[in-house]
Amino acid sequence: MGEVQKGLFSVIQKLKGTTEQELRIVLLGLDNAGKTTLLKKLASEDVNTITPTQGFNIKSVASHGMKLNVWDIGGQRKIRPFWKKYLENTDLLIYVIDSADKKRFEETGLELSELTDEENLKGVPLLIFANKQDLATASPASEIAEGLNLHTYRDRQWQIQACSALSGEGVQDGMNWISNNIVNKKK
Amino acid sequence: MAEDSEWVLESIAGYLGSPEWVIPVTDFMENKCTVFDDEDENKLTYTEIHQQYKELVEQLLENYMQEVGINEQQFLEACSSPFAKSKALQTVFQPVLATDDFQMFRSLMVQKNVELQLQALRVIKERNGALPDCLTDGADMMSELEQQEMRILQEVLRRSKEEYDQELARRMLLSEEMMGSTSSSSSDQVPLDRMEKRHSPSAQQTDDRSKVQQAEAPSDRGRSSAVARTQSQGPAVSGGASTMSGTPGKEVKKEANACRTSETPGKSQTKSSPSSTSKVPPDLPTVRTPVKGKELPQPPGDKAKENSGNQAAKAWLEEARKEAGISRPFAELSAAQQEQLQQRAQYLRQQRDKLQALKKEQQRPKTAATEELQEAATSAATSLPEAIPRRDISRNTVQDERGSVLPAASSPQKKELSTEERKKMEKRKHLAEKLKEEVIKK
Repeated sequence: MGEVQKGLFSVIQKLKGTTEQELRIVLLGLDNAGKTTLLKKLASEDVNTITPTQGFNIKSVASHGMKLNVWDIGGQRKIRPFWKKYLENTDLLIYVIDSADKKRFEETGLELSELTDEENLKGVPLLIFANKQDLATASPASEIAEGLNLHTYRDRQWQIQACSALSGEGVQDGMNWISNNIVNKKK
Repeated sequence: MAEDSEWVLESIAGYLGSPEWVIPVTDFMENKCTVFDDEDENKLTYTEIHQQYKELVEQLLENYMQEVGINEQQFLEACSSPFAKSKALQTVFQPVLATDDFQMFRSLMVQKNVELQLQALRVIKERNGALPDCLTDGADMMSELEQQEMRILQEVLRRSKEEYDQELARRMLLSEEMMGSTSSSSSDQVPLDRMEKRHSPSAQQTDDRSKVQQAEAPSDRGRSSAVARTQSQGPAVSGGASTMSGTPGKEVKKEANACRTSETPGKSQTKSSPSSTSKVPPDLPTVRTPVKGKELPQPPGDKAKENSGNQAAKAWLEEARKEAGISRPFAELSAAQQEQLQQRAQYLRQQRDKLQALKKEQQRPKTAATEELQEAATSAATSLPEAIPRRDISRNTVQDERGSVLPAASSPQKKELSTEERKKMEKRKHLAEKLKEEVIKK
């Protein structure tokens, strides 16, 4: 039965007959980390009218000849249990951290480690955005990387990138890493 | 092989158009589409419904393939043939592709939702002959609702401002009451239309709050005619005097009591004739005349009181102005503020008039008491003009003063009586003494 379903999936996927390559990217992180702002920035949309996400947003962004389908799922505590429903067939996990919210570094670290333990994310590359670097109180990316014990991640590619989703600074650097490390490999 | 796949494709396309496929899929969509709206953000339930849809489609296709006896490979080959890419078949395959494409699934569901709504509208139309007004035009309906909301919002803003103004007006009034001066008295001879003219342009003054106030304006118009009378006394409306409608009656009575007896010793000689009133140039602090105005000579002892009262009055007035948040001279106040002050003045005048009528009846027995009140009020009222440093305000206050004089003046009979009585008494005493002397001499 499972075999059949898998087969059907591949059939349907092939049915779409897509000429361009697609990447499924899931954008996660605590509430108020800046996920939706980052998503809208990637899609070159207005970032001034963003409200807390109760559900999820999807944007398709063309980048380096690839179609990136980015799924931004709300980060509020009550929504987090739903995250794992969106992890299937994910090509890349982007995890966003509010670098100025030191009080919740531990919480965000726990959520991330739970995610990386997910079966569906096994071996999936991880890009961490140390967001809100425009704030004076923001911790540097290196400090956050240390706090998250990123150096212990051996089973996947990972990268931490300081950025300000609001200003867009550093966002493109992260996207470049994606294209250099994931897109090219998938091709 | 090519023929084979063609046959398979035809069969698949046929199946996707058959009731066996269409009915369950359409049922599912119709049952679940209601939560799908056109918002940018997706609801979490969309994912759940999408998952259910996937399961349904897989189940159906599986059953079909088993029935027809084709395997996945054949299915795939058939579907990837160039024929399958034709536009006609693309739409047929759309519900299948939607299993793997959330965005496509979403748009299908949103579309279905809209279709259902239109269908419902048709049904309503058929049943009732016409659509209810609320369903005729969604856009208009929305804007109407928005307008209504705006109106409500404005009303709320207006009320809260009114309440605030009332509160501050009350405070100002209280402080003024202590000083013994209240709004000015009315003159019935003043041409109302003149005041109306003054009134309306000022109402259109631009102000931060002008929107709200303009909404308020029409309702105030009715009252404004009466208010206008107050204004007629001078260029600016009864200055420090506050306006507010709806003060508790008792309070006003007290105030009125105080004010009706107040008078200024220095300036407030009310001697002009009643007819002159209407001709009073707006800028001059002319005193308006009561019908039978006559002043009592100021009791000498009042001087001292006056001085102490002066300082107190200064403080009170300053405080009142601070509380009111009105740091500008009256003339610069916004139209609405002026208007409110006027309203207040008018209200007070009405109350005072009533009281006067009452008082007239009780006048005689209480003459003595009234005199006492007069004295007290006099001292306070006098202090007002000096209390305000700025010129604009002081002018207003002068008016006030005048105003406050008026009540006193408008109860002149009382005073006259008392003075006459005194004189009579003195004469009598004098006579009596003379008689005494004569008697004693004899």
